[in-house]
Amino acid sequence: MNQIILEAKNISKSFGKTQALKNVDFYLNKAQIHGLLGENGAGKSSLMNILSGIYQPEGGSIYIEGEKVKKLNPDLAARFGIGMVHQEFRLINNFSIKDNLTLSKSNIYKANFEEAFEKYSEIFSLSAKSSILINELSVGEKQKIEIIKLIFNDNNIMLLDEPTAVLTPQETNQLKISLKKLSSEDDKTIVLITHKLKEIQEFTESIFVLKDGVMVAKDLKTQNVTNNDLVTLMMGEIKISKIRKDNLKGTNKLEVKNIFFENSHSNVPTLENISLTVQSGEVLGIAGVSGNGQVELANIISGIERDYKGKVIVNGKNISNQGVRARKNLNLSYIPENRLGVGLAPGVSIIDNSAVKDYFKSRLGPHLSRNKMLDYLDLLIKQFSIKAPDPKAEVSTLSGGNMQKLLMGRELISNPEVIIAAQPTRGLDISAVEALHELIIKQRDNGAAVMLVSEDLDELFKLSDRIIVLYEGQIVKEFQIDEADIESVGLAMAGSVE
Amino acid sequence: MNKYLISKKIVINDLSTFYSFLIGLSIGITIGSIILLVQGQNPIEVFSLMLRLSVGSIKSLSSSLNKATPLILAGLGISIINSVKLWNIGAEGQIFMGGIALNFIYISYQIPNSKLSIILLLLTAFVGGSICILLPALAKVLFGVNEIITTLLFNYIIIGFTVYLVNGPWKDPNSLNFPAATYVGKEVYLPTVFGRLSYGFIICILCTAGVHYLKEKSVFGYELRISGGSALTAIYAGINAKQKAFIALLIGGGLAGLAGGIELLSQTHRVSTGLSQGFGYTAIIVAAITGMRPLGIFLVGSLFGALTIGGTVIQTMGVSSYIADVIQATTLFGALISQFFFTYKIKEVTNDV
Repeated sequence: MNQIILEAKNISKSFGKTQALKNVDFYLNKAQIHGLLGENGAGKSSLMNILSGIYQPEGGSIYIEGEKVKKLNPDLAARFGIGMVHQEFRLINNFSIKDNLTLSKSNIYKANFEEAFEKYSEIFSLSAKSSILINELSVGEKQKIEIIKLIFNDNNIMLLDEPTAVLTPQETNQLKISLKKLSSEDDKTIVLITHKLKEIQEFTESIFVLKDGVMVAKDLKTQNVTNNDLVTLMMGEIKISKIRKDNLKGTNKLEVKNIFFENSHSNVPTLENISLTVQSGEVLGIAGVSGNGQVELANIISGIERDYKGKVIVNGKNISNQGVRARKNLNLSYIPENRLGVGLAPGVSIIDNSAVKDYFKSRLGPHLSRNKMLDYLDLLIKQFSIKAPDPKAEVSTLSGGNMQKLLMGRELISNPEVIIAAQPTRGLDISAVEALHELIIKQRDNGAAVMLVSEDLDELFKLSDRIIVLYEGQIVKEFQIDEADIESVGLAMAGSVE
Repeated sequence: MNKYLISKKIVINDLSTFYSFLIGLSIGITIGSIILLVQGQNPIEVFSLMLRLSVGSIKSLSSSLNKATPLILAGLGISIINSVKLWNIGAEGQIFMGGIALNFIYISYQIPNSKLSIILLLLTAFVGGSICILLPALAKVLFGVNEIITTLLFNYIIIGFTVYLVNGPWKDPNSLNFPAATYVGKEVYLPTVFGRLSYGFIICILCTAGVHYLKEKSVFGYELRISGGSALTAIYAGINAKQKAFIALLIGGGLAGLAGGIELLSQTHRVSTGLSQGFGYTAIIVAAITGMRPLGIFLVGSLFGALTIGGTVIQTMGVSSYIADVIQATTLFGALISQFFFTYKIKEVTNDV
């Protein structure tokens, strides 16, 4: 019954010394939605890039509708109807929606554009007019345009690389409905890359699992597998991600009172009347889709942003008018969202980066002693098991996980009183995430007050004792963790509070 | 078709700058030799004469080191400014401005005959260099104006200003119409240590040590490195990156100004358009070859001083003194190219993006 539209056999691909794909077999059933599951770095994106002709495999062969394709390049792939939505959007920001959709020479809706656009706008419940410029759209709308672009380019095989990473739960739900319609009504063959089990279960009919470049499961029927099966396949073992919540909470360590902040560029209030408290031994989760004021709030608390109204109180001390250094001296640590560029200076050595928090303290001085700095770095490396080849090497030579460990180690080694952590695990693989979560929990148990800013609901639910939802610069909802559920937090993140 | 990928090496050899300098120098000497051969000269003869006449005696050695002094000082200034990843192309103008400021104070006030007044005059020269870079520095930190352009353009302004002074208000009536200011008095000449070696070179040694400390050991140097690495990281760390860059620019300009002051008090003894003979530009070469390391600047600056002296004396053999410039320039060229191979690796990749 199932017609195989595309088949890849024995695909191998390596980047330098790392082999991304090892003799991978993969095939797609026509008009089905397939899930491709795997951890970060398992080879999902590499495989998709090979199928869309961007990478050339070192070994293996590709068959499209039964015919062997010798050397697939992007142009050829487009002619076979293979299209991909990348994680970073490939839209031209100052072109209109229409211009973006009709840009490609393979576009099939030149004459009857408006008609087709209306039809697919409805399927994707997109309300924007086709004359609107891309840069006026929200991230979710851009994502929809990317997918509609594939349809307009007559792509019957649609490869979607983590399309839900930037979407709210409601938008994700909407996407699910749209994709199902596309596969059933338009006979589109769809591949959905994700590492979220819930989406795999809800979206797909058939599941492939990659682990460390090896296809460990092929064409599993979604209705026959459980989440536990998938986790076992994906990670090799099941990890229980529940964390003890029997932590003892104490006094108020961090108080933020009536913060108002206007963005100097737009004069639109970015933060409006934010008040919150975090107690010692407590993790307060700040949920919200990025760009709703989280970065600004974190910058205000850490002293980077000084031009605001309101009060920041640490350990009963009003520090609203004090700078970064005074706040560091109160043992406040800030793990910023951008690890490379803000938390760490690229192009500067590992050893110099390891001293960013404490360089002005006498422990390293008065004349910044190389040996003392090296000892300090050694301590960080040992205590936080960082893999760093050479202290003099530029920090950007470290892997993402090791960079984050260096950054978090540097900020946490002094057992801070207050920790502001923004997106601490974004883009990292599961083992690194686990290790970093353990660090945060350890600090919590040590009596630190932790404010965790994250877009990852799993992370927020796992670590937080309370969750506050920021939407358009306001606190729209607060949940105790045992009363919170993903659905209502997601609704609040999307701005709908009943 | 195979492609090549260039990526930065993770571990870079500490001595790579030194090795690439040696490679660059041998390239420079080779190319210099070829030019000499084409001109019908025996390179070995020419180079051994250059060597003898630049470092062969106390007299020639001290001349070489005197010549090296402005190169080293201006190079140190460039190096400290480069800690924040900024480039000072204006050392030439700052050298002149140092001399002008010194002369201005000298002719405006009765300078008592004492060692202290020499030190005060040199401080004036330092301040003159700082003033010269003040506008580019302000434009940089306030409006983000590219400092490479502004410091370069200031050279033309200052040199024009010098021409005006030595042809106009400061013109020495006894100079037989040669455009130059009046000589300063012998009482403010920099004394010599031995041979012709001026105390300026001692100041130069102290400055090298000072800049080395500032860059490598001090908290200020650390703050400069972080600011240069990422302005956002600096703000995050509580460092006022703009303020640090501003201070670094003023110190760097001041060091070049000090070079001008020393040159005036020890060599030319008056302001003229010959106060600097392109020292500010050669200093850029010196600083770049050494990867901005103060100790390296001291060594390479000394060598370049000797090369310049050697280049001057071989003119007596009928060889153009420009051979020294050729060697300096090709050394830089060779050193920068070999530095690339020490810093990056090139890998053949098959059909990748």
